[in-house]
Amino acid sequence: MTAWIVRRVLLASVITVAVVAGVFLLVNAVGDPAVATLGPNAGPEQIQDFKQKQGLDQPLVVQFGSYVGVLPCARPASPRHARGERCGLLQGDFGQSFSHDEPVGAVIAKRLPRTLLLGAVAMFFELLFGLGVGILAAVRRNTWLDTGLMSVAFLGISLPTFVTGPLFLAAFAFRYGWFPLGGYGVDFVDHLHHAILPALTLAILGAATYARVMRSELVDTLRSDFVRTAAAKGLPPRRVVGHAVRNALLPVVTLIGLSLPLLVAGAIITEKIFGWPGMGSLAIESIVNLDAPTVMGVVVVFAVTVQVGNLLADVAIAVLDPRVRLDRG
Amino acid sequence: MDPRAWQRFRKNKGALVGAGLVIAVTLLALVGPLAAPHDPSEQLRDVLLDDDGSPAGVGAVAGHLLGADSIGRDLLSRLLHGGGVSLLVAYVATTIAILVGTTAGITSGYFGGLVDTFWMRTVDLLLSLPFLLVAIALVRVLDLAALSPAQGEFGLRSPAFWVLVLLMSLLSWTSLARVTRAKTLQIRELEFVQAARALGMGHGRILLRHVLPNVLGPIIVLGTTLVAQMIIFESALSFLGLGVPPPQPSWGSMLQEGQALVNDAPRLMLFPAALIVVTVFGFNLLGEGLRDAFDPKD
Repeated sequence: MTAWIVRRVLLASVITVAVVAGVFLLVNAVGDPAVATLGPNAGPEQIQDFKQKQGLDQPLVVQFGSYVGVLPCARPASPRHARGERCGLLQGDFGQSFSHDEPVGAVIAKRLPRTLLLGAVAMFFELLFGLGVGILAAVRRNTWLDTGLMSVAFLGISLPTFVTGPLFLAAFAFRYGWFPLGGYGVDFVDHLHHAILPALTLAILGAATYARVMRSELVDTLRSDFVRTAAAKGLPPRRVVGHAVRNALLPVVTLIGLSLPLLVAGAIITEKIFGWPGMGSLAIESIVNLDAPTVMGVVVVFAVTVQVGNLLADVAIAVLDPRVRLDRG
Repeated sequence: MDPRAWQRFRKNKGALVGAGLVIAVTLLALVGPLAAPHDPSEQLRDVLLDDDGSPAGVGAVAGHLLGADSIGRDLLSRLLHGGGVSLLVAYVATTIAILVGTTAGITSGYFGGLVDTFWMRTVDLLLSLPFLLVAIALVRVLDLAALSPAQGEFGLRSPAFWVLVLLMSLLSWTSLARVTRAKTLQIRELEFVQAARALGMGHGRILLRHVLPNVLGPIIVLGTTLVAQMIIFESALSFLGLGVPPPQPSWGSMLQEGQALVNDAPRLMLFPAALIVVTVFGFNLLGEGLRDAFDPKD
């Protein structure tokens, strides 16, 4: 198991580095951060000056090495790193944002917890509705209730966030005024109040997916021998279902692990609709402003989250299901 | 392909409804632009906007059945044109994704070794990209609006169209590659493939004549749901103002424009929203029905 985890972590690291390198190339080679930041009216001297201060006049390989933190700092503008010190990701330094008057790390430190809060509330709704509906449908399988719930779930997987978000906003915030029109609020309770509509918007797809998987797994499990034995032994139906649910949860746990990064990255559109000032909004703002260091920072955070999410899902399966042997293969 | 699949498909009500919706939406997209009563980009401010600037409502002005949008363009014409753009992008992008994904999948499964490693590591890499983020960044950097030469020419002949389509398809062929690879691994071991080899048939002919027909089922199923995802993808980009460049209508950008007037004229948002959902729902339903037909559980 340990050997497997080590290999898995190594692979994840290689992929992360490849993703970061790819996006770095995209941002710095396809686009021109200096021109993008200074605007089309900047003179050549101004551009040259900016490039020199930010280290953008160096070869791409040197810039990338400096960004990752394996080569000395290429940014003369950064006073802390004047004498060949390193100022890259490995030193916990994301560089200086072009559009915010702050280091990228500080901007992300402000935005990330907000997105995580939104993600947590969304996950709560997903599990509440997804598992609830799935279990109910499986226990009442092949009744009108089952058909009805599963039809709703199927519609749920066809509802994009950019359709439901504006509709929720129009109905529950504009018309009825139950929720704020957007933004983030001032204290924790207020944050939660602001988070409910965007979280519901985010949760629809996940809840619908979990409900469908939970139902089909539970229907299979309820047919299995150990469930029949438990029932024959005279266990109350509630406990029989309890046994079965625990065994049917496995694929759902996998899905949850795989969806963790989605809650971070998938919130781009939802955060924009509701003006939630998290990582998704930051991603859009920095892309629209062509703020290269911030775009890179967001990508690094997302890429790491994806890898950690996948890794956790794999490990969780291995721990939950002793039949999965990781050492082989 | 399994001949019983068609019979199972015909008995599945959901699948038939899905097929009906898909045909209806496709027809709408094909005929819509021809049937549109007005130019979708023309601003008829004098006719369709009140003195205070609010747009004409449903049936308020003769000849403009659904009224106008916020800057006085005929809503019906925009809806009819917008569907064409959305579906064209989705169909072309899906076709390219199927070509790339199938090629990758069957060659990986059939040849194994380095070919397999190359394609599957590429798939791993693509899957760990923050998908929408990369798409948004690329579209922004490449600047679609600057690529479209003139008003209303976003289509098969404009570079912006192909940039958008290639981008979408290159990010979405991964599931197809994985599934066709798994299926090819099974087929490769079957006797008729071995026999073809023994008779001296070339690899290319075996792949085309023996492997490809046997992986068509999953390709059709995945391809159908992929169209739904492409429609969502294109609408999402257009909703963010980064997809189909204005003034060309697309359901995603119309939804976004409609948001501003949601209190006074909710139909500006509701019509494109409903059309997106019906289209996506139709393709998902059809895909689900095809899955049941090709791969019955019981």
